[in-house]
Amino acid sequence: MAKKSKSRTVAVRLISMAMTGYYRTMIRPRTHRPLSMLKYDPVVKKQVLFLEATKGGRAK
Amino acid sequence: MESALQGSITKNLPERLLRFFARYPPQKYSALVRPQPDPETTPKADSSTLPSPYTANRDAKGFQREDPRAPSASRSLLWSDPNSPNPFLPVKVGERWQGARIGLRRQADLVKMAKKYGVEALLPPGRKSTEFKETRLAEKGLTIKGTGIGQKVKGHRWERTMETRLEDRRKAMMEMPETIRMWKQRGHGRGWKKWPKR
Repeated sequence: MAKKSKSRTVAVRLISMAMTGYYRTMIRPRTHRPLSMLKYDPVVKKQVLFLEATKGGRAK
Repeated sequence: MESALQGSITKNLPERLLRFFARYPPQKYSALVRPQPDPETTPKADSSTLPSPYTANRDAKGFQREDPRAPSASRSLLWSDPNSPNPFLPVKVGERWQGARIGLRRQADLVKMAKKYGVEALLPPGRKSTEFKETRLAEKGLTIKGTGIGQKVKGHRWERTMETRLEDRRKAMMEMPETIRMWKQRGHGRGWKKWPKR
């Protein structure tokens, strides 16, 4: 039986760099570079940097 | 004056207390004749003199007495004259301990009776006296763990870690403009190396 193929996209978690524990989940193409963007963090009520969390701690 | 006072008291006292006072005269045994503890050396159970149970330090283990073997405030109340041993307290004879002449049950009875007739101060100091119980309560707190003087409630994890978390957040927010500047400089994440771990 053929191995189940991986999906083209992955769901990733973007963690607020304000260390509030707030995060957003996004979907990106598997081959894309890790996501990072400025987004609003409702805990500190400011726009802060969100970085993609690497699963298992390995950066791409 | 004391004898006159005693005379008026003795008339109304129950037989059992009279027998006790005859056997252990208050002039010799009572808590009143106990030498006053030196305020310098003996610890107090007064809440104002002890450090606050609340501490900002999360790793603090709570209040510790300087010398754990030193007599506590309640302990120093239990005084016994070596020449006329307190019947309410055990006595060390040589290497061995001899139990109290009057057991705790009978002590409790006597204290209750004496309290009723207002002569509790004439009894020897013991574990059943109001004074001892009050001091002890102040020292140990209620049966609820952490409510005594110098103790602290453990609390939930979020309460215990709150301070450090807020500190981390504050630091991160202080550095945020710089972080964003670096992020923009490195091609909006293209050259970014420090990705957070999930």
